[in-house]
Amino acid sequence: MIRCENLHVTFNHGLPTEKLALRGVDLSIPSGEFVTVIGSNGAGKSTLLNTIAGDIESTRGKILFSDRDVTKLPATGRTKDIARVFQDPLAGTCGNLTVEENMALAYGRGKRSNLSFALNDNLRKIFKEQLSRLNLGLEDRLGAEMGLLSGGQRQSVSLLMSALQPSSILLLDEHTAALDPKTAALIMDISSQIIEEKQLTVMMVTHSMRQALDHGSRTIMLHEGKIIFDLSGDNRADYDVKDLLQLFAQARNDGEELDDDKLLLGE
Amino acid sequence: MSLYAFLGTLEIGFIYGLVAMGVYLTFRILDFPDLTVDGSFTLGAAVTATLIVLGYNPYLATLLGTLAAACAGIVTAWLNLRFNILHLLASILTMTALYTINLRVMGKPNVALIMEPTMLTPFEALGIPAMYMKVIFVAFCAVIGGLLVAWFLNTQYGLAMRAVGSNKRMAQANGIVVNEKVYVGLALSNGLVGLAGALFAQTNGFADSTMGIGTIVVGLAAVIIGESLFSTRSILVIVMSCIIGSLLYRVAVSMALNADFLGFQASDLNLLTAVLVALALVFPKLRREWKTKKAKGERV
Repeated sequence: MIRCENLHVTFNHGLPTEKLALRGVDLSIPSGEFVTVIGSNGAGKSTLLNTIAGDIESTRGKILFSDRDVTKLPATGRTKDIARVFQDPLAGTCGNLTVEENMALAYGRGKRSNLSFALNDNLRKIFKEQLSRLNLGLEDRLGAEMGLLSGGQRQSVSLLMSALQPSSILLLDEHTAALDPKTAALIMDISSQIIEEKQLTVMMVTHSMRQALDHGSRTIMLHEGKIIFDLSGDNRADYDVKDLLQLFAQARNDGEELDDDKLLLGE
Repeated sequence: MSLYAFLGTLEIGFIYGLVAMGVYLTFRILDFPDLTVDGSFTLGAAVTATLIVLGYNPYLATLLGTLAAACAGIVTAWLNLRFNILHLLASILTMTALYTINLRVMGKPNVALIMEPTMLTPFEALGIPAMYMKVIFVAFCAVIGGLLVAWFLNTQYGLAMRAVGSNKRMAQANGIVVNEKVYVGLALSNGLVGLAGALFAQTNGFADSTMGIGTIVVGLAAVIIGESLFSTRSILVIVMSCIIGSLLYRVAVSMALNADFLGFQASDLNLLTAVLVALALVFPKLRREWKTKKAKGERV
């Protein structure tokens, strides 16, 4: 499970460009829960995910994985627990390595690399088996350079790679946003399969309200670095995209009103 | 070209094959353009030659020379990773500092090894003429070096290093400690170059403070020539093509210098090298431009 306590992240601290990206996020996600994260641009969705993954250091607050404090642990130290898929299909794989080499890297995630050969027939068999799940014919292209694959194919492989090693947490950062609708649906389908199969704790950032409601069991909305609502259970089942949009608009208006107040007070 | 000159060309070609592998590790694998090699080539030679003159076993001296050069690589990596100095600049700083260090190590601008024992001394008993023996010995070193580098790059650790050069973010997300790989990569690369310097000093009978000038360009030339010859994904072939590229480069240069009708002198070597490397770098781009121009022309 993941727990964030009073998480703050400030960029460019003390400079005129200072940005409060996260302003006190309290979040507790039990094991096996699938949370979708929505919010407008700059709301702090990706910052939250990157802070949990360890790419960004928190300014204040704590992050715990199953009661283990990981706040000070660097990103590489958290990869034993965390698998990730990025928005950019190019970000999750190495373009000038082959498909099998990329998969071998993911297969070694969280383990210390040693001086034994990175690839062998046994591994190739596993990779082939996994790739055939995609039905993209990639199982016959193990030796192909990753850069020769299409964005959708690369993202599919990234997704498989995230599941090659057992992990407890999967972070999906708008991982279908850069794909055409058909491929996006395929990727979402495989994601759901993997999540169910491995009983993963998942956080998925998405811009699509539909996707946010259709997947997972809980939805949170971030606005200006804070969680402004948290839907789960029966409550959530009643919600429609329209209701979400309304909440969304409300949140934004609230924010703007506040800003107006500030302006008045300033005068 | 006389047989003697040809053997000399091969000998230098094999030695710089090791340099090319080092350059391949930094430029291609780590995507870290490292100019330290101009200094670490000399450092390897200087440390080895000085120790041999002091009476150390040539093999131990070569090992220490190699390690010293590897340390130079670590210094460059440290300047870049710890203090965020641009990689090119960091390597130029180390290279500049090494010029002084090399003079200090030798205590004078050059050290002669003509009368000293070298790594080749134990093989003199075989009765093979020295000019052949030298070529066989350096060829053996280059090929063994190549096999080891290829093996290393195919291990889990080597693959992780390649990932660091290709996509740092992905490497990190898969639990690879990026900085460590850069340190190890630069140490290996400069170690190979230092070994080449040590071999050069022993086969040519001297170490000189200016012997490293242009090492990076020669190494890069060999890598690029090798790459243009073989288009392959096999690491073993790519690494071995560094040696072949180095040999071809040497043959081409010595033919150009030896062709009387061209009127080149030995001192024209660096200009020739620079032009050759520039051409090799420019050619693929020009070819693409011609192709697109042609395609456009056809459409109109």
